[in-house]
Amino acid sequence: MPTPVRRADSALRPALEHLVKGIVDHPDEVRVRMVDSRRGQRLEVRVHPEDLGTVIGRGGRTAKALRQLITSIGGRGVRVDIVDAY
Amino acid sequence: MTDTSSPAVETETAEQPTPQATDSDLFHESEIAADYVEGLLDILDYDGDIDEVVQNGRPVVEVLGSRLQPLVGQRGATLEALQELTRLAIFRRTGTPSRLLLDVGGYRAARRKELGAIAKNAAEKVKEYGEPVRLEPMSAFERKCVHDVINALAGVESESEGVEPQRRIVVRAVD
Repeated sequence: MPTPVRRADSALRPALEHLVKGIVDHPDEVRVRMVDSRRGQRLEVRVHPEDLGTVIGRGGRTAKALRQLITSIGGRGVRVDIVDAY
Repeated sequence: MTDTSSPAVETETAEQPTPQATDSDLFHESEIAADYVEGLLDILDYDGDIDEVVQNGRPVVEVLGSRLQPLVGQRGATLEALQELTRLAIFRRTGTPSRLLLDVGGYRAARRKELGAIAKNAAEKVKEYGEPVRLEPMSAFERKCVHDVINALAGVESESEGVEPQRRIVVRAVD
C-alpha cells in the first residue's frame, strides 16, 4: 500500500477546490477545507445552494467522480463531504 | 454567455450526435477542457503536455506525460471521472452538453487496441461454435471500441445488455 507523499497530500484541498469551482455557477462561493478528526481526515465542500445539485449530480454521480479523483491523487482514506449548510 | 436557464444536463452516452456544433464550437469546448485539466496538473505538480483537437466531430483533449497514472486509475476509472467533471465544466460555460473525449497518458489508445483483440477473439469463438459470447462489463468507451470492431466484421453482430456498471456486450452470429 503506497503512502501518499506529503506534496500530494497538501495538494488535495486546492485540487478539489479547483475541480468544484470549474463546474459551478458561483465559483466565488466555493469553500473547501480539510478537517482532521479522530476518525481521520475529511474534505468539506460548501457551495452556493443553487450549485448543490450540480456538485452532487444525478444519483450522486458527480460527488462520486470527485471522490474518485481525490482517492486516486493521494487521498485514499480521506472522506469528501458535500455540506448542505446554508 | 452567463445564461443559466439550463436544459437537461445529462450527457452520459457518448454515442449521441451533437446537433450542429461547428468546428469552432468544438474547439472552444476543447479549450475550456484543456484549461480545466491544466489547472489540475499545476496544482498537483504533474508534468503533462496538453493537446487539443477536433476529431470525428467531437472535441478531444489528450494529456501526455509519463507520470500521470493517478489520473487514469484502475482500468481508467479516474480518467472516466475526470472526463465527466470536465464535460460538466464545459457545460457550465457553454450551456450545451459536451461529447468531449479525454485521454491521459495514451490510456484510451492502448485500451482500444486491447479491446480490438478481445472483440476479434469473441467473433472467432462465435463463428466457430455458433453460440453467443458475453463479454465482461465495460464502460461506454470500452463498449464503443468493441462495437466498432464487430461492426466491421462479417457474420457477427454486437449488442449491449444490462445496466451500468454491469452493462456488457453480447456478440452473436448473423445469417
